[in-house]
Amino acid sequence: MSKKLIKAMAVAAIAMIPVQSFAQTKIEWLQWFAAEAGADTYNSLVSEFEAANPDIKIELVNQPFGKVRESIVTDHAIGISADVLGLNMPWTKEFLDIGILAPLDDYLGKADNGFSKDQLVQAPIGEIDGHTWMVPLTAFPFVLHTNMTLVKEAGFEHPPTNWDELKEYATAISKLGDGISGIGLPFSSQPPANGPILTLLPLLYAHGGHSMNGTTPDFDNPAVVETLQLLNDLNASGAAAPGAASRTGGVDVEEFVAGRTGFLISPAAHSANVRERGADFEYAMTRVPGDVNAYRVHGFELGISANSKHKDEAWKFISFLLGKQANAKVAHASASLPGNLEALADFNTDGDEVLAKQMDILSNDTPVEELRQAPKATASWSIMTEEIQAMLAGNQTPEATAAAVQARWLELIK
Amino acid sequence: MSNIEIRDLVKRYGTVEALHAINIKIEPGEFAVLVGPSGCGKSTTLRMVAGLETISGGEIVIGDRVVNGLRPKERGIAMVFQNYALYPSKTVYQNMAFSLKLSRVPKDVIDQKVRAVAEILELTELLERKPGALSGGQRQRVAMGRAIVRDPKVFLFDEPLSNLDAKLRGQMRVEIKRLHQRLKNTIIYVTHDQVEAMTLADRIVVMRDGHIEQQGTPDEIFHDPASEFVAGFMGSPAMNLVKATAGADAITIGDTSIPWALPASISNGDTLTFGLRPEDIRPAIDASEVSTRLTVTLELIEQLGTEKLIYFTVGGHSFVGKAEGRADLRVGQSIEVAFDMVHAYGFSPNSGARLR
Amino acid sequence: MAMEAQGQGPNFSTRGASLFQAIRDNSAGATPYLFLLPCLVILGALLGVPLYKVVEYSLFDNVIIKPDPIFVGLDNYSNLLSDSGFWSALLNTGIFTIGSVLGHLVVGMSLAMMVNADIHPRARTIFRSLLILPWIFTAAVVALNWQLLLNPFGVINYWLGAAGIINEPLDWLGDANLAMWSLLLISTWRGYPFIMVSFLSGLQSVPRELYEAAEIDGANFFHKFWHVTVPQLKPVIYGVVLLDLIWTFQLFPLVWLTTGGGPGRVTEVLSTLTYRLAFVDFQFSQAATAAVSILVISAAFTILYLRNETRNK
Repeated sequence: MSKKLIKAMAVAAIAMIPVQSFAQTKIEWLQWFAAEAGADTYNSLVSEFEAANPDIKIELVNQPFGKVRESIVTDHAIGISADVLGLNMPWTKEFLDIGILAPLDDYLGKADNGFSKDQLVQAPIGEIDGHTWMVPLTAFPFVLHTNMTLVKEAGFEHPPTNWDELKEYATAISKLGDGISGIGLPFSSQPPANGPILTLLPLLYAHGGHSMNGTTPDFDNPAVVETLQLLNDLNASGAAAPGAASRTGGVDVEEFVAGRTGFLISPAAHSANVRERGADFEYAMTRVPGDVNAYRVHGFELGISANSKHKDEAWKFISFLLGKQANAKVAHASASLPGNLEALADFNTDGDEVLAKQMDILSNDTPVEELRQAPKATASWSIMTEEIQAMLAGNQTPEATAAAVQARWLELIK
Repeated sequence: MSNIEIRDLVKRYGTVEALHAINIKIEPGEFAVLVGPSGCGKSTTLRMVAGLETISGGEIVIGDRVVNGLRPKERGIAMVFQNYALYPSKTVYQNMAFSLKLSRVPKDVIDQKVRAVAEILELTELLERKPGALSGGQRQRVAMGRAIVRDPKVFLFDEPLSNLDAKLRGQMRVEIKRLHQRLKNTIIYVTHDQVEAMTLADRIVVMRDGHIEQQGTPDEIFHDPASEFVAGFMGSPAMNLVKATAGADAITIGDTSIPWALPASISNGDTLTFGLRPEDIRPAIDASEVSTRLTVTLELIEQLGTEKLIYFTVGGHSFVGKAEGRADLRVGQSIEVAFDMVHAYGFSPNSGARLR
Repeated sequence: MAMEAQGQGPNFSTRGASLFQAIRDNSAGATPYLFLLPCLVILGALLGVPLYKVVEYSLFDNVIIKPDPIFVGLDNYSNLLSDSGFWSALLNTGIFTIGSVLGHLVVGMSLAMMVNADIHPRARTIFRSLLILPWIFTAAVVALNWQLLLNPFGVINYWLGAAGIINEPLDWLGDANLAMWSLLLISTWRGYPFIMVSFLSGLQSVPRELYEAAEIDGANFFHKFWHVTVPQLKPVIYGVVLLDLIWTFQLFPLVWLTTGGGPGRVTEVLSTLTYRLAFVDFQFSQAATAAVSILVISAAFTILYLRNETRNK
């Protein structure tokens, strides 16, 4: 090697040093939140935090939702985990099995947190294996989105409040013709094949049912069978759009926004899609029809990598995000409610009926969260999806479906 | 054996007319050669007979059927292509058997026919080879064999010898001639080589720019050309053709006057193209007949072996004559040559038509 | 001419061993290998290491998930071979691969012959350009478009309904009886241009006289196709089909993004099974094992292909 070349390389090496020689800690935040809505808000929050903490630099890593779970696992395996992780409650048990998450109990007990623990939405902070693993950044209930224009056209006045009305209205809307259907059943095998948790579980919870018993699958109980029967009825009566087995969750939302289905069961946050896209129909949000006021709760959660070398700094950032003001901003950006309920004081609904309705559901109804403790949750959805496809194709009864899922799920976690 | 009649045949490509109302009548068993320079329409005519080109106007009759609307296989023809067009993946045997196989001829009959033809063409040893392993001449014979096996009413040859070297071409010419004598099929043969035309044909059709200049036996074409074009095209070296003026029982070429009994249609004072074949210009010592003698200076001599071509100038025009191969001649030598004016021709300087 | 090719190319198996020796001696023969070195290093890093890792993973207890995986020998392989899901995925892969390649062949060859026809040159150029389009779209775009087309309310159902062929819309990608056919349709549409382009250049080199000779011999369209076109294209067909087999065999995105292996598992192929094992079930060792099975079969095709290539040189 020539001397010149060696010199050049030396110079280049020296030039790279100052970047690292700052007494600054860099932490990464891997999430999909910014990719879905409000990227600007997240950037400005990061800037705000960095201004207050010049020794910490936050790198925002934005990925689509479908990619994040894979990234967290593979990053962990290679040892390059992000410090702060955006989390989805159904992933929890899987991640704990691999040892991806760090327990947060000590941090939650700290005196200088920007929030108080008892003001947080409770579901995510419930203990598993004796520890708390995540905190809620935002929370939203699963709701029934209604296209009131279609409901009225079909001759009804209000969104359905129970299953009989849901069936009746949906069937009537399907009869309007022109490719319009009452409701969509998104049971495509396409990844993440999460139709069961989008549609089945919210209806099951509103029926007072459950799919787990503690951390054990309990899928073959009567409430599940009745809910499956409801799906079967909706499908058989023509109330549901044809093609359930090829309908993805994404398509289901799009079809509703496009005014081609009367009802959509999905996170309340999707009201933002309807409004941003300027859908030309009268929109209403209500609780998922059923006989009890219980909702599937969902949200953006935060956790810390077990591998992180800067857990204290990571927590400092999380604590900032859960602070009243920052949390209110995030909630606004994602059309959901803050994970720190204290932030509701700063949360101005401004007479927004939709937000008000969400708050009503959140504060008065019972939240249900089972997936956080569900073993092999993601794989279990595939099983449910496959069995429900078979049921909707007329190949098996709801009872047989429930029993098949139960058996396969138990086999899976053996 | 079939007669072929081509009536007012026209070929148009878009608005361009390539063949202008061609009429040819070929008797059963006749060997007809279409000859002419490239682009004269001879190949197009042949391909229209074969059914490979559409007919824009006129009729083609083979036997007693108008074949205009018939597909090639229904016309009772076989064709030998310039590049042989043998199927490269098939053996010689399979190449020859292909058409019979397609017409569902029983296997034993096919075998018998193919072997018989292979025997005639001396291909028996090569039957299991593929075309890639054959020489040019062998391929040519396979191509002919493929045609013969079908026992067609009419053979069509499209410049079949032009890819062979001169020696092989001579041999194949003889083979084709023998074959015709033996099989007696009607043949249409396209070539641009006037030697092939002369040697093979019962009837020569000379074509030029999409029309027929003249048709007739080789003798008629060679010795009684209907136009300056035919006269110049047939024969090697080509006929001497020079501008001349008619006098009284003579013509004047430049400053030289040559006595000639003018044909009836030429009058004193006319300008014309005068034609005389090199064979009819010889050194005076070789000339036996009464002829016109001129003294010239030899400018160039080409030794062909059996004869010598001698080049000289008369009246400012270049002439070629022929001398005995053993004649003792030198460039620059002044000799007396004899013009055999009995075989001289006159052509119209405008239309090129023969003046008789 | 195969022997020529063998003689010309550097023979790596024997000369590779003396590579470093040659470099040390600084003989003239070493220079070409020095130029190859960067390429070999990059190839080694990008192909060799992952390949090695996958095979290694397949021999361990659940890697990635477990901090200290243990060596289990061929246990993962016996698990895989005793899993009915693997065999059904293998069968589906076979159906999908052979069906796709046949579809590519038939459509690609037909279109190649059509666009090779004697039509106005400008029209021909336009057709050729249009027909190549499916090739340039990414799998995601193709998948999305076909999902829309095949949707129960999509254009295809509308046409079929309007033409009176079907009474009610079909769920092409969601019906267990139709999903594989739909997938083959999509795969055929996506993959025929490669065959078409390859054959087109082959067709253009077939002498016209051969077709004319065949016509005079009494051949109809199919005879000409079978006796003239196919033999002339044979070297092209063999190579192209093998390449297509290799590509289609491990095709992942098109299946994953259209049916996701469903409904049920009726369109689950080896590649989607591998992905599912890895990223849905988090069984990375089992996934590596499935990946090795794909590798082995692809390698067999590849060897056939390479042998064919050497023979054709």
